[in-house]
Amino acid sequence: MPYSKEDLRDLYDGRLPWHKTFEIMSKPKDDDRFDKYVEILQERVPWLERILLPLGEHLYVVDKAGERIVKCDCGHEFGDWRQNWKLNALIFARDDTEKLEEIYPGLKCPDPNLCEVREFYCPGCGSLLKVEAVPVGYPIIFDALPDIDSFYREWLGRPLPDEKEFRDMTYQVTREWVRDIA
Amino acid sequence: MSERKGIGEGGKTLKQMMEENERLYRETGCYAGITEPHLLREDPVKSELFHSRIMASLMAGRETTRMISASPFVREVAELCLGFYTADGASIAQSTGIQAHIMPMGECIQWMIKQSYEQDVGINEGDLFIANDPVIAGMHPADVYDILPIFWEGELVGWVCTVIMEMDIGAVSPGCMPTANAERGSDGLRFCCEKWGANDLLRRDFELKIELSLDMADMFLLNRKGAIAANIRVREEVKNIIREFGLDYYKRATRELIEEERRNQLARVRQRTVPGRYRDVVPVELDMAKQPISWLPANQDTIRLIPIQTDILPSGRLVLDFEGTGEWGWHPFNGTPTGLRGCFSTVLTQTISYDGRSNLGTLLACEIKEPAVDSLLNPSEIKRLATADPWAAIFDLFGLWQSMLGIAYYLRGFREETFNWRSGAGWQMAGYDALGTKRPLLAAETGAFGPGATGVGDGCDGGGWIATQLVDMGNAEVWELFVPQLEMTRRFEPYSTGYGKFRSGVALASVMLLHRITQTVASGAIGTASDGIIPNLGQFGGYPGGKRNTLLVRYDNLQELIENRQPLLHELGHPAEWKDRIQGQVTNVGLIPPSIPVYDGDVLVTDTTSAGGLGDPIEREPRRIKADLDEGFATDWMARNIYCVDVIFNEMTEEWQIDEAATSKLREAKRKERLSRGVPVEQWWQKSRQRLMERNLDGKILEMYQSSMRLSEAFTQEFKDFWALPDDFNL
Repeated sequence: MPYSKEDLRDLYDGRLPWHKTFEIMSKPKDDDRFDKYVEILQERVPWLERILLPLGEHLYVVDKAGERIVKCDCGHEFGDWRQNWKLNALIFARDDTEKLEEIYPGLKCPDPNLCEVREFYCPGCGSLLKVEAVPVGYPIIFDALPDIDSFYREWLGRPLPDEKEFRDMTYQVTREWVRDIA
Repeated sequence: MSERKGIGEGGKTLKQMMEENERLYRETGCYAGITEPHLLREDPVKSELFHSRIMASLMAGRETTRMISASPFVREVAELCLGFYTADGASIAQSTGIQAHIMPMGECIQWMIKQSYEQDVGINEGDLFIANDPVIAGMHPADVYDILPIFWEGELVGWVCTVIMEMDIGAVSPGCMPTANAERGSDGLRFCCEKWGANDLLRRDFELKIELSLDMADMFLLNRKGAIAANIRVREEVKNIIREFGLDYYKRATRELIEEERRNQLARVRQRTVPGRYRDVVPVELDMAKQPISWLPANQDTIRLIPIQTDILPSGRLVLDFEGTGEWGWHPFNGTPTGLRGCFSTVLTQTISYDGRSNLGTLLACEIKEPAVDSLLNPSEIKRLATADPWAAIFDLFGLWQSMLGIAYYLRGFREETFNWRSGAGWQMAGYDALGTKRPLLAAETGAFGPGATGVGDGCDGGGWIATQLVDMGNAEVWELFVPQLEMTRRFEPYSTGYGKFRSGVALASVMLLHRITQTVASGAIGTASDGIIPNLGQFGGYPGGKRNTLLVRYDNLQELIENRQPLLHELGHPAEWKDRIQGQVTNVGLIPPSIPVYDGDVLVTDTTSAGGLGDPIEREPRRIKADLDEGFATDWMARNIYCVDVIFNEMTEEWQIDEAATSKLREAKRKERLSRGVPVEQWWQKSRQRLMERNLDGKILEMYQSSMRLSEAFTQEFKDFWALPDDFNL
């Protein structure tokens, strides 16, 4: 069943009363959710590019002059959605006991010889966009690479113009970086 | 030689039926070749009634078992589940409970069919079969399957199975899920779908074997009687259903239920997610160096990676790939493809296919790519290995998989479905109980944890145990009858939290005082994949909960404290300072500790932790932090240091107050600190790459990467691509 945009706004903000939240969780899902979702988010961002797909608490894949880029709600742009946006963020790596214990004191602290807790910040607004806890040396994880064209074409039934090839282009970035070293 | 007449449909053998169904699925992509399901749709009221009757019989069977069993696992926690299957072992319906076993129980039926039980062992009305061997199908030997065929006028028309977790399976000490366990013999009793009764009765020689083999034979045999009663109850109700609806309707409708569910699962994924590629990784720490095991190759500590990739295809199909998983080892924590399917189905049943119709069709709409042979998830030596505790890897694996699915929900706008989960920590023991009987001692509360935040609010406090929807650990007083311990407290532990705009649920720490024990040893238990590396459960700027711990406290002044009616340990307090409040010896024994002696008056602490928070913690509404402080779910340390909220306790009103203006300044300062502390990723990448090039990593981490690279060229290539390592470079 469809829900009002007002209810969905309150739901996303964590302000909807629990009995209504529970109803939305337990009843059959509403087919018009995505469109209302994007409308709500589009109303909240200060820029004009069309949101194609939300990507996280502050991030969106937007259509910018025919290109699909990742953009923060503060306006900072992270580049093509097929490259892991984290590579264009700021990073603070908690890689020793002192830095880890700022969050995980005493008993709660992982082993800095084994574990690195990486925090990715938006260079524009300083929002914490992702915390990544992984073994030391593990490549930065590309959490989500959405197949936007299949989504619009096959699931929503309204294909986007200028379809793009669906592939991971992250390694183009690191290849450039190694050239910088050379 | 002509083939004898089978017990299946139209005189076919069960093997013929199974092979025909597999062929039809291959050819049509639809279960049993049902390309146009119509029967259920033609009369929806009739089909609802049909399905409801089956479900009601399974639930009634489940409750029947609880009335007969004496084990607190069954009576208090409901560690059981019933499944109903087609003649060739396809799951049609399941009760609530430990649903990880629904698919493996069907695989046991299919194993019997493939092994020609019909001809060589015999399958007759009233025959009782028993299984608990993960080499065939299953999770671990403590989970025992009772399997009963259902006949109608001489034709086998279905099966009903009950799984019960046993407190004692005759495994090496301590516990029923031992960690000092590398070879199969140390697992205890393993049953390979044996026929252990006929005419609905247990065989006396089987009862004698159990009485001679187990310390808790009475519990085991009562559980069997509970399971037999449940299975008979379902069988008789299925016969009533056939009488009422007719055999033809029964056969077609049960198959259509599977095909309908396959289609519904694809539709649910298309409705609620976004197609694409989702990735994450689970590290599993396997501490075996100090375990008292005579098979010396087992004595080493290792870490293994399990990278997870989920592809959501435009068809709605979920494809799981574990390429890059490290190698198996001599320990009880190896997984199996059947275990993966079981765990995957339980996660699907509880988080996306939760309308009570989950069955084989749910899994048919998904694919788990076969993990590499000789990986941690598919050991070629599985027949020789102990299999007591595959949860260590698999629990955390699917907790993280839920995170990945949660991202897909979030992208689509169904943020209320976004969440994740994590395994618990705990103790198990062996020794003499309060009544002087030696036996394994395991309290089932060890499975609890704090579930992750959702995309629309905080996680449920103390509300998680993915093995079953029924998060009820039962009465402490009952557990005290079975385990010689006094339950001092089960208390919300604020520092277990995964912080975020929406925080995780808060986990329950438990404190137990050992009482009237002799000759007892203790070790860790259950899904303790260890937290030297905490799991990657933070969502969109939220943090994962910290490290889990099992702690042994030995007071110097216990008698004095008791005599003076002074409090013992009831809460941990700040994780860096809690030891200062104790006069005595405190040992953090780790998560998979070797057996250690414990004594009367020792205090065992289970410091379980939570899954992940969601969103930037400095965006958490101050009103929520005040509520947490007032409820004891947060501390002023967290308010100031994590959430950047200025708080003060009002002694007059006995509540916390927020200074909004000071909070805004604290939060602004935190943003500035991040922008100054954070460095461009390229800068960090070059430094980290240099460290890799110099192989300047902990030895266990190096060996972990080498292990994955030995098994996977694709993993090796991706690793080298990310770090832009030379082709001829080897870690």
